[in-house]
Amino acid sequence: MEYTREIYWNVGHGAWTLVPMYLLAIFAIGLLVKGFYGRVKIYQQGQPLVRDDQRLRRLVMMLQNVLLQKKVSRVIWPGLLHGLFFWGFGLLFIGTTLIVIQADFTDLLFDVKFLTGTFYKLFSIVLDIAGLVCMIMLGGLLVRRYFYAPEGLETKNDDAIMHSLLFGILITGFLIEGARMAVTELGTPLAPWSPVGLLVANAIVGMGEGGLLALHKVTWWFHLLLVMAFFILIPLTKFRHILTTSANYFFTDLGPKGKLVTLNLEDEDAESFGVSKIGEMTWKDIFDTDACTLCMRCQDRCPAFATGKPLSPMKVINQLGEVAFDAPDSVLVDTIGKDVLWACTTCRACQEICPAAIEHVNKIIDLRRSMVLMEGEFPGEEVMAAMEATEVNGNPLGVGYAERGDWITDLGIKTLAEDTEVEILFFVGCYGSFDKRNIAVAKSFVKLCQAADVKIGILGKEEKCCGEPMRKMGNEYLYQTLANENIETFKSYGVQKIVTACPHCFNTLKKDYQDLGFEAEVMTYTVFLEELLKSGRLRINAQDLSCTYHDSCYLGRHNDIYEAPRKLIEAAGGKLVEMEKNRAEAFCCSAGGGRILAEENIGERINIRRVQMAAETGADVLVSNCPFCLTMFEDGVKGAELEGTLKPKDIAEILAERIQ
Amino acid sequence: MKILVCIKQVPDMESKFKIDERGTWYAKTDLAWRMNEYDEYAVEQAVQLKEQVKEGDITVLCIGSDQVKETMKKALAMGCDRGAHILDEDVSTKEPYMIAGVIAEYARDKGFDLIFTGMQSQDRGSGQVGLLVGEMLGISGVSTVVEFSYADGMVEAKRELEGGVKACLKVATPVVITCQLGLNTPRYPTLPNIMKAKKKELLTTNIAELLKVDARQETLKMYFPEKKGGGQVLEGDAADLADQLIKILKDKTGVLA
Repeated sequence: MEYTREIYWNVGHGAWTLVPMYLLAIFAIGLLVKGFYGRVKIYQQGQPLVRDDQRLRRLVMMLQNVLLQKKVSRVIWPGLLHGLFFWGFGLLFIGTTLIVIQADFTDLLFDVKFLTGTFYKLFSIVLDIAGLVCMIMLGGLLVRRYFYAPEGLETKNDDAIMHSLLFGILITGFLIEGARMAVTELGTPLAPWSPVGLLVANAIVGMGEGGLLALHKVTWWFHLLLVMAFFILIPLTKFRHILTTSANYFFTDLGPKGKLVTLNLEDEDAESFGVSKIGEMTWKDIFDTDACTLCMRCQDRCPAFATGKPLSPMKVINQLGEVAFDAPDSVLVDTIGKDVLWACTTCRACQEICPAAIEHVNKIIDLRRSMVLMEGEFPGEEVMAAMEATEVNGNPLGVGYAERGDWITDLGIKTLAEDTEVEILFFVGCYGSFDKRNIAVAKSFVKLCQAADVKIGILGKEEKCCGEPMRKMGNEYLYQTLANENIETFKSYGVQKIVTACPHCFNTLKKDYQDLGFEAEVMTYTVFLEELLKSGRLRINAQDLSCTYHDSCYLGRHNDIYEAPRKLIEAAGGKLVEMEKNRAEAFCCSAGGGRILAEENIGERINIRRVQMAAETGADVLVSNCPFCLTMFEDGVKGAELEGTLKPKDIAEILAERIQ
Repeated sequence: MKILVCIKQVPDMESKFKIDERGTWYAKTDLAWRMNEYDEYAVEQAVQLKEQVKEGDITVLCIGSDQVKETMKKALAMGCDRGAHILDEDVSTKEPYMIAGVIAEYARDKGFDLIFTGMQSQDRGSGQVGLLVGEMLGISGVSTVVEFSYADGMVEAKRELEGGVKACLKVATPVVITCQLGLNTPRYPTLPNIMKAKKKELLTTNIAELLKVDARQETLKMYFPEKKGGGQVLEGDAADLADQLIKILKDKTGVLA
């Protein structure tokens, strides 16, 4: 017997079937295109931005994320459900396409049938299983959404429509198969190749041939209508993510990671700076809002949201979308709320996890820029005071600039003004220069360099704040002023290599200063010290230490440096117990995004939450790599009453205590 | 409405001060400069007044070397309309009466309705200049103002006096107002205003043209207070602190004897 089946069995292959079917298909696809055309108009309200360069690289990235479900599957259970459903539905789509190709093209025009024999058996079982997997996964997703919804998951009409429609398509598919098999396939060797269909066929075979034929025909047309409805609903419901989210992978920012756009402040024609209306965002910013599936992963990881602040990255993205579609003249800051925008620590946890490649942080900064540059507004007077202090003395702590290099007295190192013959310039940063606790870290780093025979120099009073907290707070003008002054100083000394002990300085000098014409090599002290260890220049005595390690946002998520610090801790003899939230999932200390300058007045304290997580590991020492983190943890252990149980220390201090 | 705001550029008070060679003022090395805090309140009040009456012209005046223009630009960015820079390379040698004389000479024929300035400077702190200007111009002067309102040519002001006492008064323009902490929160200049400030009029006049009065006082000496005793902060854990304290009590006092 020939293993195959008659396509269009029972519904007929004449004009009475094909004409209405193809008219419906054209109509549905037409509506789909029209729906997206309307949306493209909305995206076009935005400013231009090039996101279609390096097309091959972008294409590969898109395929990896669409076909392999790379980003989606990072959260295991919902990711698995989504992934398996996607692959199952994909197979069904391919299968249906093959049927169309054979029936309406190759067979019709050239008498060629390929859905026969062994291939047909495989085709049959693969589609049957795929349909079953889709049903189970969809069932799982339905239970998750409607019965065991994680807290905060927003369920809308869209979700009900999508679940009903997909279930409808799958169930009618199996019914059609079952009815056909009940009439034509039961008892043949082919039947077991469609196990689910066989089950359905056996269940309904009692209806008799007349009833089965009628059921088959009606269900076939109904199934077709549901599929057409699916196409029509893509642009109108969250189904749109099939296209928008996929496209968003293609439009991903290719880096450097997290680098903000440097505003042209000299532009005489610019009437405004930053973003106050949706039309001042880029088209990609608006497109992002259409790629969001409300999966809540960003919100779940937002340290501000977790501690009762009004910020939810997901909500911000969706409010921007609502404005773009419904009220493009709204003042965004008013719609979203100032407290929301000031609450962000730019920790990037939202952006890092987003399965739709949405860029949250730059939008928040753009809105802050508008508040600061156009309105002179800050989250509090203390922030304005810090800005003014930085304008006067080049540091937000308000200490006289001339004292910046005082901490090196008696350490045996010099400023570049005294001696330019150095291997590296140590860019100390404001906290390392003025804050007592962090001066100890800077001194430890100097000791380590001296032990490794690396000649270092500092700029002393010629060094200014790198401008990072000001920039992240939205004060692009002050940032550029500081950056340009620093760059001029670097250039005047012909600086070739800079090492920083602050991830904020590191990120800023390495990435942001590029746009202002600075090109020297910039390294973080963790990688620098790790290289010294590896090359044998630096020798450390390992000594037992029970510790946990906090990945700072700007070494971790912003620069993907996770292993070098861990290797250093290991070399020092650290027995590292990881916190549950580590590496790319690390929980911010609260001080990023310029929040180091601001009081934390709303909700719980983020730093207390983080030191509690560290204390839960049972470790004695909380190792960090960032002056802001260290400051927050010193404060946090007091607030959490963990003084004496948990000691915050910088990685450089741990190493300096163990120099051979 | 014509408004004059008189400001001074002073060193940031966090700077490391040294006495200069003459021994009569601080040395100017390693200092960061900014607008005298009280003058910031003056600028802010002038700009708020202009915003209230919707028409007006604010002149900001500052005496000093070319370096003070930086501070004047901030006042222009905050909303002053034009700058009057009185060039004096050695302004620290001019005593308050001379400074007031220069300002009064500049303002005499210009018909200012209001003159705002700080109640004192953060460096010299004489607190005289504002009221002397009023006296020299023959107009009213109100010092240490913490609340200000204006309507129909009349100013209502609250002054801060010694011991927490406040005085409320009403005075007709023209008047000199000297501003005290608490009057307002000076604004942070917006970027467009910083850009505009770069193009605003900033005219320089040599001090010689305006200095018509003689000095009445002379600074004889400036010096740091002699170090007598001082606080000591002990550090360490509780047991260590106790030991340190006992040692100090034994060495320096007789309480444990």
